[in-house]
Amino acid sequence: MRSAMNSMPILRASSRKASADMTGIDGNDPQQMTMAQALNLGLRRALERDSKTVLFGEDIGRLGGVFRVTDGLQKDFGEHRVIDAPLAESGIVGAAVGLAMRGYRPVLEMQFDGFVYPAFDQIVSQVAKLRRRTEGAIGMPITIRIPYGGGIGAVEHHSESPEAYFAHTPGLRVLSPSDPQAAFVTIQQAIASDDPVIYLEPKRRYWDKGSVDVCVDPLDLAVTPDPWRARILRAGSDVTVVCYGPMVRTCLEASRANSEVSIEVIDLQSLSPVDYDTIEASVERTARLVVVHEASRNAGLGAEIAARISERCFTVLEAPVMRVTGYDVPYPPNRLEELFLPDLDRVLDGVDRVMSY
Amino acid sequence: MPDQIQVFSLPDVGEGLTEGEILVWHVKVGDVVTVNQLLVEIETAKAAVELPCPFAGIVTTLHVEPGEVVSVGSPIVSITGAAVLHQRESVLVGYGVKHGGEPRRRARRATAAPRAKPIVRKLAKDLGVDLTALTGSGHDGVVTREDVLGATRGVQTAPEPFDLIATGEPVAVRGVQRAMAEAMVLSAFSAPHVTVWVDVDMTMTAGLVRRMRSHSAFTDLHPTALTIVSAALVRAAREHPRINATWVDGDDSPVITEHAHVNLGLAADTARGLIVPVVRDAGRLSLVELARAQKAVIDTARDGRSTPADLTGGTVTLTNIGVFGVDGGTPIINPGESAILAMGRIIDKPWVVDGEVKVRPIMQLSLSFDHRVCDGGQGSRALAGVATFLADPAAELLLG
Amino acid sequence: MDDSGLGAAGVQLLTPQGERVEHPDFPLALANDEYRGLLRDMTLVRRLDVEATALQRQGELGLWASCLGQEAAQVGSAHAMAASDYAFPTYREHGVAWVRGVPPLEMLAMLRGVTNGGWDPNRYRCAPSTIVIGNQVLHGVGYAMGIQLDGSLDAAIAYFGDGATAQGDVNEAFVFAAVFNAPVVFLCQNNQWAISQPTNRQTRTPLFERAAGFGFPGVRVDGNDVLAVVAVTRYAIQRARAGEGPTLIEAYTYRMAAHTTSDDPTRYREAAELDAWRQRDPIERLRIHLTSQGIVDDDFLEGLEREANDLGEFIRAGVRAMPDPKPGAMFDHVYAERHPDIDAQRDELDAYLASFVEEGVR
Repeated sequence: MRSAMNSMPILRASSRKASADMTGIDGNDPQQMTMAQALNLGLRRALERDSKTVLFGEDIGRLGGVFRVTDGLQKDFGEHRVIDAPLAESGIVGAAVGLAMRGYRPVLEMQFDGFVYPAFDQIVSQVAKLRRRTEGAIGMPITIRIPYGGGIGAVEHHSESPEAYFAHTPGLRVLSPSDPQAAFVTIQQAIASDDPVIYLEPKRRYWDKGSVDVCVDPLDLAVTPDPWRARILRAGSDVTVVCYGPMVRTCLEASRANSEVSIEVIDLQSLSPVDYDTIEASVERTARLVVVHEASRNAGLGAEIAARISERCFTVLEAPVMRVTGYDVPYPPNRLEELFLPDLDRVLDGVDRVMSY
Repeated sequence: MPDQIQVFSLPDVGEGLTEGEILVWHVKVGDVVTVNQLLVEIETAKAAVELPCPFAGIVTTLHVEPGEVVSVGSPIVSITGAAVLHQRESVLVGYGVKHGGEPRRRARRATAAPRAKPIVRKLAKDLGVDLTALTGSGHDGVVTREDVLGATRGVQTAPEPFDLIATGEPVAVRGVQRAMAEAMVLSAFSAPHVTVWVDVDMTMTAGLVRRMRSHSAFTDLHPTALTIVSAALVRAAREHPRINATWVDGDDSPVITEHAHVNLGLAADTARGLIVPVVRDAGRLSLVELARAQKAVIDTARDGRSTPADLTGGTVTLTNIGVFGVDGGTPIINPGESAILAMGRIIDKPWVVDGEVKVRPIMQLSLSFDHRVCDGGQGSRALAGVATFLADPAAELLLG
Repeated sequence: MDDSGLGAAGVQLLTPQGERVEHPDFPLALANDEYRGLLRDMTLVRRLDVEATALQRQGELGLWASCLGQEAAQVGSAHAMAASDYAFPTYREHGVAWVRGVPPLEMLAMLRGVTNGGWDPNRYRCAPSTIVIGNQVLHGVGYAMGIQLDGSLDAAIAYFGDGATAQGDVNEAFVFAAVFNAPVVFLCQNNQWAISQPTNRQTRTPLFERAAGFGFPGVRVDGNDVLAVVAVTRYAIQRARAGEGPTLIEAYTYRMAAHTTSDDPTRYREAAELDAWRQRDPIERLRIHLTSQGIVDDDFLEGLEREANDLGEFIRAGVRAMPDPKPGAMFDHVYAERHPDIDAQRDELDAYLASFVEEGVR
């Protein structure tokens, strides 16, 4: 054959052992695993716990999801529990409403943040409101998992931070884990919740490894942190930095990099409701607050937190609440995302700004 | 292009992957390789993939053994060959997994200017201290706890604070500045302005300034041409009272008031913008007293400590636009006054002296006057009087 | 006999073996230059595609969605368009963009991460590649409604895949096009896979048959037969120009590569399937036919191979040389008119970058 295609090889992709599948996990010792693996294990536990829990999404079965978070689950739980959906996000969420009405507990996967918008109508018009409209007769125990955020060099619509839309919508709860342990625990808590939960997975952190206590019972709040409470990850006395999801690691690194200022880092974890008590108690001590998120600034979560803390802590504050956020532009081409995303230096710049008052 | 060793580092092949395991090398050290030849198979968290060779040349080093897991960005193979143009330092297309490390060194940030922290406001409120009556001693003029506590001890004087102007940021126009802007609009669109010009040979004024500077009476007063021009304007105002007058739209008919005193306004360029402190009853001052009074009001203004009283009550104004390197203009009269004199820069120019062209220090004077108050003759004569004074100030001063 | 699943309804003018067959409804006679043009375009598009895949594997592109195996469906349908028609592609229509004249480096700029778009759509009458599945199909319908309102003879052609037919947007597009009798061609490349899901997970009827339910004709064509694709697309565009409304074309083809470079198809499909489709390669069958007819000879093919290799080298060098956008570029074109937040944040970024004492950004 003389065609030009012979002049170079066709590159193959294949699968040997790439996997988030945690079936091989043994013993009860804390395990080192990635966030993707921790989520996989959490989903496995949820499927084991309740036969009415079903996973529903695009490419989650045979492929195991584009991030392999559901890897191996269809094999072990069957096609009736881990359901590959046709390519239609509104269809997935709308059908989940009906599944929930029939007594199921659907766990949905939106393949990427940018693809949740076709389902936006079903989420804000139906999922968020049905309990209220039926005076509690119909619950929506639906978990909608969404890989979100940038920092992976992706193309258009693959780096969105849509949390403010959902946090703004009454009737929805919004969670975002920041490390493997939190992911393992909170995904199970989200699924167990009788409210709809938008579960935002920081895709930039899927491959971060951490120690996960696999014995913990996420549903026993006597031994497990309440998922709706913020977590103080690093104590400090000069300034409080509030962050969540992908920014938590960045803020922790920033707090360690600046030896002159004692930075307290709070991981919100729950974006709706926000645990203002924990933030307030911290700001009462530090008198300074910086809110960090990679979503755009205008009408973002940082705006709400700044307003609430200004209301609660007005006479304590030594400086205005500062926000370190993405800019108010569509997510830029990836050669510029380093500038768009708050990084260690941007966080420290925000700290400098509040400290200079 | 000479051969060189080029290193291929493990790329992020799948949107944010952080590491990969080397499965199989398809080349070995010493192999001649071509661009896009199959190089290695790696396994990531998503898939096993084949990587094609990015360079042509000879394989010199395989940095990683099969079975080893390496992070994205680690060198995996070195190849000697013709250098590739525009090779990226980073193998990551986007931000990728870069993170952590040391902060970069930054210049300290100058912040925008708050007037007082919430906690200081509360303190002031609790102590009954009027924050607006204080000048901030803190960073960028912030009113501090100490300022508030000092006020309770009666230590603080109470000049009007100004809003500070932060570079590059839009600033709300408030207070004195806003009042002035509104007054300027009012003046420009109510008083019919006429401006007349004249050039003056400043040779003798310059000589007088030099003598004043060397005289002990003027020590620390830094006399300049402005001092003499002030004296000239004060003289002209006394001799031509219509440039030292006020037009008032009365209930029945407008009235013109010629002022008994000359309160000389001096437009000063300060960090807070253009403001006009006033030297009161300047007509009664000797030259040295005038110089001292001028210095006092201008220094106060530049320090931002002018009180409202310092900035009001003028009857005629002098503005020095020469410091900006210009010759003349059409200044706008301060509201309530009838004239304003602008002095231009002093610059060497050809000047005819006794029928010969000589180089002389020349200054242009521009006088705007309110044509309701002064007619053309009155205004022009006043300006000519200033010019005459400056042409030979010693003679004028001798005449008293 | 073709065992691809194309079925008797599938229009075919060239068998996988390169044998020319006639179809009563879709006669086709092209000038020799047109035949050669089809072969050339498909060959160069494949080279572009393979080079881009390699560049992604070498860390030079963030992602690549290969069109390997779909060259006939894309090049053939685009060849049927007039310059004044307008194409609405997905992210995989590199062959369409190529025929519309989009320079290859402009196709790659977004994947390189230096732009959010890549080319001027109006210049090539080819909309930006659309990544959210199915969105662009409605755009094509709306554009066609505009053509209709203008009384123009242009047509719009909206591309999408088998997976997209599950989306509300696509079904809404069918409804709108039918109701308004819009001059639009729906070109569905059924490449058998929506990432990991085979077509039977999206539809239980042949896709082309869906058109009847919406009230316009649907035609299945062998998407690996470039001649059949040209003939059927010409027919559909002609219907649009004649005021006869929309047509759905199901170009029956195969995604020979992974969904994108981030995908791993060995997890969900068999190697044998890929091997079977290799026997139906769209480029090879045209080459055999044109060689047998004497329309191309060895000289032509050798020249084409050189041209393809030159294109590969051009792309490789051009991608590597693409300059990074300036930091402030992210603030450009967000709004038509000045916006205070944009102005303020542009200044904020400048001041932030200027605050570093030792070095620039990178």
